[in-house]
Amino acid sequence: MTRSALGALLLALAPRPASGQQVTVGPQVVLSDYREVAAGLRYRGTGLGGSLWARRDRLSAEAAVVRVSLDPADGSAATASFTTTQVDVWVAYDVAAYASVEVGVLHRSADPEFDAQSVGAVRVGARSFYEIGPGATVVFRANYLAAPKFSGGGRAAVSLDLGLGLDVRLAGRLHGTATYAFNRMNRKTNPGGTGEIDAPIQETLARVGLAVQF
Amino acid sequence: MARYLGAVVCFAALAVPALGAAQVAQNATVRRAQQAYDNLEYRQVLTLARAALRERLTGAERARAYELLGFTYGAMDSILKAVDAFKQVVLIDPERQLDPNRVSPKAYSAFDVALRQVLLVRQLRVDSVSFVGGQGAVPVRFTVTQPARVVARAIGTGGTVVIDSGAWNGQVNLRWPARLAGGDPVPAGTYTVVVDARLGQNTFSASQPIRVSHGRVDTVPSVTSLPGYQFLPETEIPPQSWRPVGLAFLYTGGALVGTLGLESPTLGSSSKRELGLVGGAALVTGFVMMLRKPAPRPAEANILYNRLLRDQIARRNQDIAKENVARRQQVQVTVAPVPK
Repeated sequence: MTRSALGALLLALAPRPASGQQVTVGPQVVLSDYREVAAGLRYRGTGLGGSLWARRDRLSAEAAVVRVSLDPADGSAATASFTTTQVDVWVAYDVAAYASVEVGVLHRSADPEFDAQSVGAVRVGARSFYEIGPGATVVFRANYLAAPKFSGGGRAAVSLDLGLGLDVRLAGRLHGTATYAFNRMNRKTNPGGTGEIDAPIQETLARVGLAVQF
Repeated sequence: MARYLGAVVCFAALAVPALGAAQVAQNATVRRAQQAYDNLEYRQVLTLARAALRERLTGAERARAYELLGFTYGAMDSILKAVDAFKQVVLIDPERQLDPNRVSPKAYSAFDVALRQVLLVRQLRVDSVSFVGGQGAVPVRFTVTQPARVVARAIGTGGTVVIDSGAWNGQVNLRWPARLAGGDPVPAGTYTVVVDARLGQNTFSASQPIRVSHGRVDTVPSVTSLPGYQFLPETEIPPQSWRPVGLAFLYTGGALVGTLGLESPTLGSSSKRELGLVGGAALVTGFVMMLRKPAPRPAEANILYNRLLRDQIARRNQDIAKENVARRQQVQVTVAPVPK
């Protein structure tokens, strides 16, 4: 996904608020844990990001962009740090008072390019949300990541993404948000045609921030 | 003796016009004509009356001059001329009436023929009456001297109301219920009853002012509540429960179980720092929400009860409105003629 296409998508997801319409936007601090291929290749890091969420009647959309600097974790065999930029987009439709179905995309790119796998995938899944109190909502989502594409090639028949979200109205239009995401991709590669080998990818991400409601 | 009595009666009959004339005739020539008539000097009456008609006269004097001519022509057996003179009289004064017991039969018959030869609406009378709306009517009487198309209207503050219309001749008696098309009584105020008669190109109108007044109406006020029934609050605050923290625990636990289940054995156990941060926030939020006063929620039963109560009140107010309409229509209506 190109940056221009991503910008156009974010603009499309940020229409002017109207009656029956709600928009929140805000910055986030990110914590991340990234593992690839083997237990010894693991990274931890922090970063910044932003999110935008909009709802109109039963339709809602969410987009998040984070940039995380990942360093080799203690005991890791990795020697070099790298930076990832990840874009997540969801479009959801409420099918019940506490549930909705959603589709979206995931795109993660690494810089330097070959220090980690860049990946893009389409996500399809569902989420459940519940207002546990005035202005406080918890969300649980489960997505299947379909047709993932890796910069280093390979395939991943089973790729899943789990999420836990919390949105609390702190005061007036100010919201506090916290989002957890865990995704695992059972990537398999076939280097040199010698047979498939496992090269799984696993990432956990926590985004904590503020959002202003319009 | 009988001849003597007849002469006395005849003299008395001829002298009658002189009685009324003394009250209206200010013109000297008319007065002289009256004196000549009183002295039975008919030639002199004709000369003086015609001379008076060439002078500037008031309506009453002109009518009197024509009347003297009519009586004189009648006494002189010139009936056609008498009729012409009386036609002028009634055209000037349509309400002019002769007493058959006090004028000569010749003059009276000539006057009667004259009345039938001109289109007049005479003797319009509206009687004073008081009745309950819808249960009475206002008597309206008038006389049309020729068969004509007649329309009777009441014109006033409440607009124009047609009382009746038809092709009538002679004495006409109408009964006006004094109601509008919707059944309400005509608004109180001053009206003019106008009777228009049309016969070919000839038209004539007569009018009579009247005053319509209404009695007091005791209407029933609308209700905003029913005795013994009160509106219930449409929201209720649910009791505090473990639900918020329970749900937070459930959602966080789901994420934890999912993470543990999906972790790759090849990559080892993933960091729980991220889940701990977000899950902890969710659990703390749930705990705080459990301690907080729950938000009001709609009380469906009360909403339904209030809706039924509002429907009942609306139905009762509709009945009251109908009852008030009937009460307003049954107001005491008083109609009285007003002097012109």
